Amino acid sequence: MTDLRFLTHEIGSLAKPPWLVKTSQGRELEESDIEHARTWGEKVGVEGHEELVESLRSGDADPDDVARWSSRYCVRMQESAGVEVIWDGEQLRSEMYAWAIEHSTGFEPRGTIRSFDNKYYSKSAAVGPVGLREPFHNEEFSFLQSVARADLKIPITGAYTLAIWSYDEHHTPKEGRLGAGYGRSQEIEARRELTLDIARNLIRPNLEALIGLGATWIQIDEPGASTEADELDLFVESFNVSVEGLDCMFSTHLCFSDYDLFFPAIEGMGGCRQYCVGFANYDRRELGTSGADRPGYEVISKFRDLPYDPILGLGVLDIHTDFVEPPELVRDRILYAVDVFGDPARIHVCPDCGLRTRSWDVAYEKLRAMVEGTRLAEEALNRAHASA
Amino acid sequence: MAELQAFAPGIYPRSEELVQATRDLDRGRTTPEAVEGQVERDGAACLTAQRDAGLDLVADGMLRWQDHFRPLLEAADGLETGALTRFLDTNTFYRAPKATSATPKLGTPLGERYLSPQPGPRLVTLPSPFALAKGTGVTPRTMAEGVLKPQLDALDAELVVLVEPFLAREESAALDDLAEALEALGGGPRLAIWFTFGDARSLLEQGVADLPVEGIGVDFYATHLSDVPDGFSKLLLAGVVDVRSSLLEEPRELAAFAQRLGERAERIALVPNGDLQYVSVPIAREKLARLGKARTATTEAAA
Repeated sequence: MTDLRFLTHEIGSLAKPPWLVKTSQGRELEESDIEHARTWGEKVGVEGHEELVESLRSGDADPDDVARWSSRYCVRMQESAGVEVIWDGEQLRSEMYAWAIEHSTGFEPRGTIRSFDNKYYSKSAAVGPVGLREPFHNEEFSFLQSVARADLKIPITGAYTLAIWSYDEHHTPKEGRLGAGYGRSQEIEARRELTLDIARNLIRPNLEALIGLGATWIQIDEPGASTEADELDLFVESFNVSVEGLDCMFSTHLCFSDYDLFFPAIEGMGGCRQYCVGFANYDRRELGTSGADRPGYEVISKFRDLPYDPILGLGVLDIHTDFVEPPELVRDRILYAVDVFGDPARIHVCPDCGLRTRSWDVAYEKLRAMVEGTRLAEEALNRAHASA
Repeated sequence: MAELQAFAPGIYPRSEELVQATRDLDRGRTTPEAVEGQVERDGAACLTAQRDAGLDLVADGMLRWQDHFRPLLEAADGLETGALTRFLDTNTFYRAPKATSATPKLGTPLGERYLSPQPGPRLVTLPSPFALAKGTGVTPRTMAEGVLKPQLDALDAELVVLVEPFLAREESAALDDLAEALEALGGGPRLAIWFTFGDARSLLEQGVADLPVEGIGVDFYATHLSDVPDGFSKLLLAGVVDVRSSLLEEPRELAAFAQRLGERAERIALVPNGDLQYVSVPIAREKLARLGKARTATTEAAA
């Protein structure tokens, strides 16, 4: 038989390097920033990085050019780590929510909200019908097509997440809710209007534009999908409205949720060919391939049993810690998943979520460990097949 | 006319300056001392916002609390931080409490770093024993006795609001465990339990007014006015400012609502329906101002 292989892929974001952050903010670079660009350029093999270093040193670097360099660095970093399907860590975007909102009509900013600890996000309010200023991933995708050697997977923030991460001043009554038992059914109906508005008028035109440019795999990020257990049908409906009839591989990314909540709602999401899901955050760090050893992965049998046999993008890296998972731990997480699924072809390997809260040093080491652990899992399974 | 107050329990949002300072700290661009200085300035601004609004009790805004549990989890023996968990229907997360002992104990209560003295009648917010115990395997009563009671005994406050975000959302919410836990917290500061972000109908039907606390907080963006029983004898913390919405409330609508509530409850405190941290500082400040205007308008109308 052919040797078994697992596809490895990234999820989305990576940290922006100091030389990009400071250049974008018009701040002066320190020597350590320039050294960062030089050493990482050499380390991951960014062709022509000397040109960037020179422009950073001269102090007249154009922020847009620097962002494109940063994009090249992230592409090469992932390729160098051995990841097979990549993106640029969203170096050309502000942030997954803000980028989409900035390129839309019908929203207004409402300030900064804490997500947790010292992590924040800018929150906007829907103030009118949602529209698309312009397809907002085209330029980025065309650039990455010209740069990447590995295959590309484009992450795009999904309709439900954009809706639930926004205030809604358009569909919510301005008065009359207080003490009136406004209730969940009205809340859900308001959210449904906003979410489907976004799906039809923002997400779908973007997907169509990307497919027109040659995109073959688009990941619809829905980290907010499980926010409301009684709105999961709406999440599913918005996914279906976004992708129905379009010719592309669509996947979705879910993270930091009680994944049990998704069932049975996502049984109706047959257009989703892959779920990439964060599990490592909930798992132990000790080795082992039994269910008791892998408590973070208990729910994966439910993904296995979905009627349309989607692939599971198995999150094996906890993105909230600098702890670099030993390859053997990655291996055991994969072996457990294969044991549960029974079909290795339905397993891909990925981090729990984007690695943007980690330094490049940590992110790179984690990705290398992920790839090495994946190879260890393949070897173990191939050996087992050979001896069987 | 009912006796009327207004105040704002819970976590107040961070200013853009504090957001930037803490981001800079995480990236090694500033010092902890500089962040502390900004926390102090944010605290002063929070106090000013409450004074300008004419609120009756003063809270410190809990600006050093990462979430409603963290300082207690870090201070107590037998508790630690668990998985990063979404806080209800928000894009905000908390570290879920995790018990490493069947009987967690708070040996040294939290000091002024987390519970700042205030120039005026002080309002303090702590987690309810039910919320603190949720998912830990420890009973609310054990949490109350081992963790919250030592903290309350060390506190000097006009009112301590115990925030309870989960119970009103539970399908088969029952008050028994909570009532038993609250019994263990008596003898100290006056207590209120604040049911945030949920329809309190079932709890009201079960006789929430009989809980051994001074006040009961209800989210009136999820709960119908008619669910409040006539002759409600406790201090009713009426959640009339919606912190999940950026829309600004009309003081006249709040005042009219307070008057209608006054037909059912003898003592009312107008409060937000959850932590103001779910809106940005400019919106929070304006919502506080409108809370105060509503209190004034209601009082004037009654006079």
